[in-house]
Amino acid sequence: MNDSVLMLTVMAAIGLGTPIVFATVGEILAERSGILNLGVQGMMLFGAVMGFWATFQTGSLWLGVLLAVIAGAAISVIHAFNSVTLRVSQIVSGLALTIFGTGVAIFIGRAGSSPLVGRPSREIFEPIFPQSFADIPLVGPLIFGHDALVYLSWVIVAIASYYLFHTRPGLTVRAVGEDPASAEAAGINVSRVRYIHVMLGGALAGLGGAYFSLALVPSWQDNPIGSAGWIAIALVILASWRPWRALWVAYLFGAAGRVNFTFQTLEINIPSNLLAMLPFLLAIIAMLILASGKRARLLGSPEALGVPYYREER
Amino acid sequence: MSRRIIIVEPRGLAPWWLKLLIPIASVVAALALGALFLMLTGNDWIEVYAKMTDAAFGSGRGFAETLVSATPLILTGVAAAIAFKMLVWNIGGEGQLMVGAIAAAGVGIWLGGGTPPIIAITAVVLAGAIGGAFWASLSAVPKVYLGTNEIITTLMLNFIALNLMQYLVLGSFSPWRDPEATQFPQGRPIIDSARIPEFFHRLDWGLFIAVFVAILAWFVISKTRTGFEYRIVGDSFNTARYAGIRVPKKVLGTFLLSGASAGLAGSILVAGILGKMDPRSLDLGLGFTGIIVAALARLNPIAIIPVAILMGALNNAGPALQSIGVPTATVKILQGAILIFAVAGEFLIGNRFRRPRESVDETPEPAKEASAA
Repeated sequence: MNDSVLMLTVMAAIGLGTPIVFATVGEILAERSGILNLGVQGMMLFGAVMGFWATFQTGSLWLGVLLAVIAGAAISVIHAFNSVTLRVSQIVSGLALTIFGTGVAIFIGRAGSSPLVGRPSREIFEPIFPQSFADIPLVGPLIFGHDALVYLSWVIVAIASYYLFHTRPGLTVRAVGEDPASAEAAGINVSRVRYIHVMLGGALAGLGGAYFSLALVPSWQDNPIGSAGWIAIALVILASWRPWRALWVAYLFGAAGRVNFTFQTLEINIPSNLLAMLPFLLAIIAMLILASGKRARLLGSPEALGVPYYREER
Repeated sequence: MSRRIIIVEPRGLAPWWLKLLIPIASVVAALALGALFLMLTGNDWIEVYAKMTDAAFGSGRGFAETLVSATPLILTGVAAAIAFKMLVWNIGGEGQLMVGAIAAAGVGIWLGGGTPPIIAITAVVLAGAIGGAFWASLSAVPKVYLGTNEIITTLMLNFIALNLMQYLVLGSFSPWRDPEATQFPQGRPIIDSARIPEFFHRLDWGLFIAVFVAILAWFVISKTRTGFEYRIVGDSFNTARYAGIRVPKKVLGTFLLSGASAGLAGSILVAGILGKMDPRSLDLGLGFTGIIVAALARLNPIAIIPVAILMGALNNAGPALQSIGVPTATVKILQGAILIFAVAGEFLIGNRFRRPRESVDETPEPAKEASAA
């Protein structure tokens, strides 16, 4: 039964969904602090190439992951500086980050006399439990069938959720995203909170990128991540800015990515382009129904999202 | 509060020379960053930039190709500029361009072969504008009547349009697909009489349509009563409301015109250099590059023309780099860096710096809280 179409689909959904989980949770953290970062795609690609490069050089997967995380956080500082310190358009700055990060990633992959492009990764992430565990019916693959980063993603979701909704610093983040002026009056350093969470978002996006280049697509291509960064931005809304929901919706779209293949085995033919539209279509429908006007507040959209904060100076 | 050495405060009007200097400095800074990047990766940056300049401007043919690349960017630039000026965050230029191309190719295929060129070209070009406006309306109507955030809806619609376009040619046997191309699916050619004539190498009259649209946008915004009302709405929704201007109608109008301009870029590509709906040639990020163009031109439609030529030159120069072993992605790095510096430069234009005076206890309220949203 572990080979049933349903089980294979679920496993693929988890695999394909995991990088999107990282990126979506990262963007939730940034947006909860009030900063919209449309640079997710660029940060993911930069993390993907740096992670691939580090593993290629050292043979260590975890050094690859580490560098991807650092790279994502580092490049996100550009956006934090533009939107928090300079208070210029978050939308344009985020797009700039995506264009820049994409360019840098493709460049690094193709630079030099023996470029990375087309090369297989030296190591890739494999399931960590022995096969005998994964052979247990039903729970085997679901619980024991994954690589280390999948378990890491569960841990990160749990921590992020607990942090945002059950800790004092998490309350601070939400306060900054809802009403920065009041937060400042209560003695919170709004700029610092926003910098930190944009960088956490960058770090997680970089990690998500590395999952593509070190687990899902184990050879370097110009763009191994497809449009995962954009999907993550859509999923933040579908997840209504909550990490656990991000996990489920990311798996749902992981499944949508796999459904094409599943349908073919069941001899149902749906053009792949129409399926690829699905996450974006659902995000729009969800926005129309759930997140329009005042209802966006009920859904959980931070009140001060995208609005630059001018400190009262005197 | 700790004492500050320099006070930063928003200002109303920046001097004209600063508004000119900042974009130029952005380009210079991006080129410097690019040079650093090229050096670090063991390339001769002087050779790279010389090669790019030569490819983009070094010959009549090269410059013609630069203008070919610039043509759609003028239109997507205008699309972004008129929307952003009104605080309408239409980042759906990509999708509007693609749906414009779908509509234009649809009309160009459907028209009979005997249609006179003037009618055929007009119909195809206008179909693109209508298609773009339609696609924009899917975000504009919910924004105006339900308060739905257009940033996300326009972004999502880009991907829906991309997949729709690919589906029509690559994924199905729709009328847009060439029935004679059995091996590799491609778009069905539009009728010959709907093709915009070329006048110099591959350069066609679409360039003048684009320039005309930019000038028209500038004229309407700066010189007419309607444009004046639009500018009031762009400055402050509340002021406009008190002045009796119907804000929702203006926002809707801007959004649709913005989409029409991006759609026009699609139809001019289809009726011009492509001659068919070619999914690969229409998926080059022209809508996003239009946002770079608009930002660097500081949303001024006239300034968009030279800026689009600069971006067109970069796009055109990219492939030439491969011959000297430098990745084409250099161009994307430069474009991204230009946009990063240009948007950061808005800080210098929007704020002024002064030394604190003794015992000053009032500073102006931040005047522009929505403008940088």
